[in-house]
Amino acid sequence: MTVPNARTPATALAGAGTSAPPSATDARGRRHAVLEAMAGRYRVVPVVITLVLIWGFFAAQNGDFLGNRNLTNLLVQIVVTATIALGIVFVLLMAEIDLSVAANSGACATLTAILVVNHGWPSGLGIAAGIAAGAAIGVVQGGVVTQFGVPSFVVTLGSQLILLGAILQLLPGGTGQVSLFGTGIADISGTYLAPAVGWIVALAAVAVFVLLQLGAARDARRRGLATGGPLAVLGPAIIVAVVTVAVVAMLNSYLGVPLPVVILFALLALASYVTTQTRFGLHLYAVGGNPDAARRAGIRVDRLKMVAFMLAGAFAALGGILAASRVLGVSSSSGQGTILLEAIAAAVIGGTSLFGGKGSVWDALLGALVIGSLANGLDLIGAETVVKYVAEGAILVLAATVDAILTRGSIFARGGK
Amino acid sequence: MSALLNAEATPAETASHVLELRQVSKLFGGVHALEQVDFALRPAEIVAIVGDNGAGKSTLMKIISGLQPNDGGEVLIDGQPVALRRPADATALGIETVYQDLALCDNLDTVQNLFLGREEARPVLVGGRLRRADMEHRAREILGRMGVKIRLLRTPVGRLSGGQRQSIAVCRSTLSDPRIVLLDEPTAALGVEQSAGVLSLIRRLRAEHGCSVVLISHALRDVLDVADRVVVLRLGRKVAEFDNTNHDLNSDQLVAAITGVRS
Repeated sequence: MTVPNARTPATALAGAGTSAPPSATDARGRRHAVLEAMAGRYRVVPVVITLVLIWGFFAAQNGDFLGNRNLTNLLVQIVVTATIALGIVFVLLMAEIDLSVAANSGACATLTAILVVNHGWPSGLGIAAGIAAGAAIGVVQGGVVTQFGVPSFVVTLGSQLILLGAILQLLPGGTGQVSLFGTGIADISGTYLAPAVGWIVALAAVAVFVLLQLGAARDARRRGLATGGPLAVLGPAIIVAVVTVAVVAMLNSYLGVPLPVVILFALLALASYVTTQTRFGLHLYAVGGNPDAARRAGIRVDRLKMVAFMLAGAFAALGGILAASRVLGVSSSSGQGTILLEAIAAAVIGGTSLFGGKGSVWDALLGALVIGSLANGLDLIGAETVVKYVAEGAILVLAATVDAILTRGSIFARGGK
Repeated sequence: MSALLNAEATPAETASHVLELRQVSKLFGGVHALEQVDFALRPAEIVAIVGDNGAGKSTLMKIISGLQPNDGGEVLIDGQPVALRRPADATALGIETVYQDLALCDNLDTVQNLFLGREEARPVLVGGRLRRADMEHRAREILGRMGVKIRLLRTPVGRLSGGQRQSIAVCRSTLSDPRIVLLDEPTAALGVEQSAGVLSLIRRLRAEHGCSVVLISHALRDVLDVADRVVVLRLGRKVAEFDNTNHDLNSDQLVAAITGVRS
């Protein structure tokens, strides 16, 4: 379930019928056709190529890179980035930005930690409260953006500082940190599924995907629409099954499937369904593509934007809690460092456009994999922090440049260059 | 000058008008964008509104589509006074508008644009999945009925031609089964062949759906080709109205009325 097979909403499953890049039929030149394919349903190809190149490079440098231990670590390492990036995707789809997600993640994790450790709340309730707080912060930001027309760039930049202040305020004096050792929150990171359980979860996920795929094909056939033959229907299912089996087999050969990875993939699958298969998801893309058109079609643009900010806040909070679980506590450094850059970079590197209306929730995973592989590989070969920063920064600028070229060069070309 | 109609409508005539504007005015900061304009639309009639820039064409259209309520005068639908305060009011009364900028989402495909805001989906409790196949099937019917050929229903409309995009926008207006369709400069951005396609769409709006059509256009050739009646605005006032049922109007007459220069 890791492979998006189409980029436009509501065609991810149903749209499996067209096998050739549609624009290739227009005689507008080969280069243009390639650009359009890359901007459209094959946007994932350059990202996967980048990932393969990075993996190839580090595998050649260090034989341990592709070992089951390091790959397990890599997946665990990217969970936080990918979770926060998943929320960012929703905001980017609306052509907005949220620069407060990292601070939000730190603040909500701190809140959860204090509720659980200092006030004796059950872990589950504390986590729910943290996520609710993140969502509420998102709604407030979305409200200021939509109701007063303040650019989201400014609103979220300001709330980033406010939230960093809130973290300092929440943390106890003295130590300036809260240890989560021995709490249910710490258990999240320490939990690995037993191999059999991992297989059952994986097979259930593949089965759901195949059923959805077959359902779409059956609907299309009933309506006399082209399904593109069995390969177009089963191809994506086969890819998803192969990737899922490979990942689970790899994880099971080490410690099993880590619980945070299960949480991440469950959220990705759910978000993927919602964005590509439901009215809500379609409207997200419509607002990002042309807010005026969406408004005239009766879509409540402001409300949708607020929901997008709410989701970004909620996913940020969850990401923060997962981070706290991994490092066994929160401190004044929670939500600081490169996490903001990495989360936004992950979404953009994965292929979500900064200009709105284009992207997929799987971009969060792919982008986080690219960034995480870079960081992990550079650590493995003992590169200095300087190299890491330069490499991550360079790949972000590169990805944003590709986005700009693809956006101007194809679908939105009509909108003026 | 063939027929300068300026008759007061009798009660019987009023009832037969699907849409009527009486003495409608619109002020923008003390300037009359429209001044006491009368306008009537009969069932299944295609009426063009022409005029130079600033004549009040767009203002008139915005009043009818509910984007900008009128300041003076009244609007009647089927002889009944109505209030058009927002676009939803107009839509509820069976008035659909095709804006000049088409209001399409370039990143969505033809089917998604056609049904935008009116998608068919399963109940939320069972997953809320869009009925994509049903919508695509209906999209083919709608496009076929209007004689529109778009092969790639799954291609983002940003990649389609101007004529195809205009066709999608016009077809979308038929989804709510409207009685009146407003078209703002539908051929302005199109070449000759594509314009002809859109004009045939306008005729089909009437033939297939029984719609009355209000056409706002600069393209006099297109207007003469398709309109039953032509209303000329100049500086916010209605200055002339021509009958073109027999398509015997010529552009010299129109130009004279638009510019106010007698030939």
